[in-house]
Amino acid sequence: MKLFLFKSPIIQVFLICSLSIFTSFSALSATANSDSDSNIAKLSFERLSNALRDLNFSTSFVVVKNNQAEPYHWLHGIIENTESGNQVELEILALLNGPRRDILRIDNTVSYIEPEYAPYSIMSSYISGPIPAVFGQDISMLDNNYHFVSVGKSRVLGRIAQLIRIVPKDTHRFGYWVWLDQQSGLLLKLAIITRKGQLLEQIQFTHLEITNVLSEHLKQLQATDLPKIINLETKQQDIELAWKVNWLPNGFKQIKANRHRINTSKQAVEFMLFNDGLVDISVYVNPSNEKQRAIEFANDGATLVLNQVINNVEVSVVGKIPLASAKKIVNSIRFIRDLDTP
Amino acid sequence: MSESKFETISSLVDNYRATDHESEQAIDGMLKDEHLSTTWQHYHLIGDVIRDEIPPALQLDLSAQIADALRDEPTIFAPNRVVAKASNTFKAKVVQLIKPLGQLAIAASAAGLMIVGVQQNVADNNEIITPNHIVQTKPLAGFANPVSFNYQQLVKPQKQAVLEQRIEQQHRFQALLSDHQQQIKLSAKKINKRSNVEPQSASQSDKKLIN
Repeated sequence: MKLFLFKSPIIQVFLICSLSIFTSFSALSATANSDSDSNIAKLSFERLSNALRDLNFSTSFVVVKNNQAEPYHWLHGIIENTESGNQVELEILALLNGPRRDILRIDNTVSYIEPEYAPYSIMSSYISGPIPAVFGQDISMLDNNYHFVSVGKSRVLGRIAQLIRIVPKDTHRFGYWVWLDQQSGLLLKLAIITRKGQLLEQIQFTHLEITNVLSEHLKQLQATDLPKIINLETKQQDIELAWKVNWLPNGFKQIKANRHRINTSKQAVEFMLFNDGLVDISVYVNPSNEKQRAIEFANDGATLVLNQVINNVEVSVVGKIPLASAKKIVNSIRFIRDLDTP
Repeated sequence: MSESKFETISSLVDNYRATDHESEQAIDGMLKDEHLSTTWQHYHLIGDVIRDEIPPALQLDLSAQIADALRDEPTIFAPNRVVAKASNTFKAKVVQLIKPLGQLAIAASAAGLMIVGVQQNVADNNEIITPNHIVQTKPLAGFANPVSFNYQQLVKPQKQAVLEQRIEQQHRFQALLSDHQQQIKLSAKKINKRSNVEPQSASQSDKKLIN
């Protein structure tokens, strides 16, 4: 009995979240998918985007996936640039368990501090972390591929929350359920859910504090010299690859195409990245020593990793998409010429 | 005279105190006289041996070693205090924010080892290898085996191969997963605040697709 005791908090968390999803389901059936709901949802997202850019907040959240919980600390603040008088954003996102992974942002410079690489910065106006970057931007870029449905109110993190569902228009991607704070407009909870309503991954906020003044950490960040910015323009020019992907769910655009080595395995790959505004899909192709290997896949929360070898060519797809979509993508890859042997 | 001193020491060791004055004198004497303090040590040692309390490896004179070590320790003088410029103090804080990287490599490699360890435990469940497994991105904290768990070393070569394959597969998945995340980070763009943003660099990629 004692042996299983340590597991119980996790089970409890799951029970609670499954319960809350259940209740929101019943709320959903009562609400019609009307235009006004969609408008409320859009306005809420606009509010979220503004709140994420304008507020001084200090918050903690936990990413729950595969029976594991990853705790994060997330800070955001604004200062006035003394020279230009413009607002400058400061942001810190830190993973609290395991080796240190910190992401720092001062306005348009984002620095990643990770165990795998020496610290580096890139020019970007948003952090790539567990929270979809689009939440801090213009959500209407998702209009073509997702519906927005305002479902109702519930209580999350001891606050009144508005539940909004981001529903894909086709069956090729997952839905996102988003709970937003009625008072501040900020994010309180996020769940990634299959079409059948199965919960794959969720982010639960555990603490939220909105202040008028900059927190101590951000004051430190303000005076920080960030690591050197690496120039991605020259490093990652798109190149012509020996293959192309003939099928992707609607709205996925190619972000880049390159050759690089995978950091951990040192495997040279040809690579393409696609994005529909919310979801990223990576496609890898490389020659393999094996002749054939049956399709293999695994899930990390909502993220699917799929891998297969056909005729000495290894093909992999990674992204937060259903298995059927990933299989369809793999099967749609056509070779224009033979792969370059590395 | 010395005979009575030894007696006093002996009773002190045994925690029998004659009079306060007498024992004070004896202690003072011990502190001054090396011979007497050695006797004090010897009595203690004898007592320890009789009570069977000696450690397996006998360190006869720990205090002397410590004193030696202290003597060899370089003396740290207070560094010259230059009035630190404001920027310097800030840099120091940055270092605080960013520095603990040296430890990370170690921590990361430890995590890697733990993943393999966990998988080896899991893999002995006689289960058929189905592809729908979950990637162990992080070692499971507190993965406890039942107390009566018998780890059987009767792994057949074939089973071993399957196991290795499975570990290799997990490595492959993990490598892909982390590269995927890395590529997303590197593809992040600078966008104009609150303007209608196209899904990143769409126009450019459209051209590419037509080609």
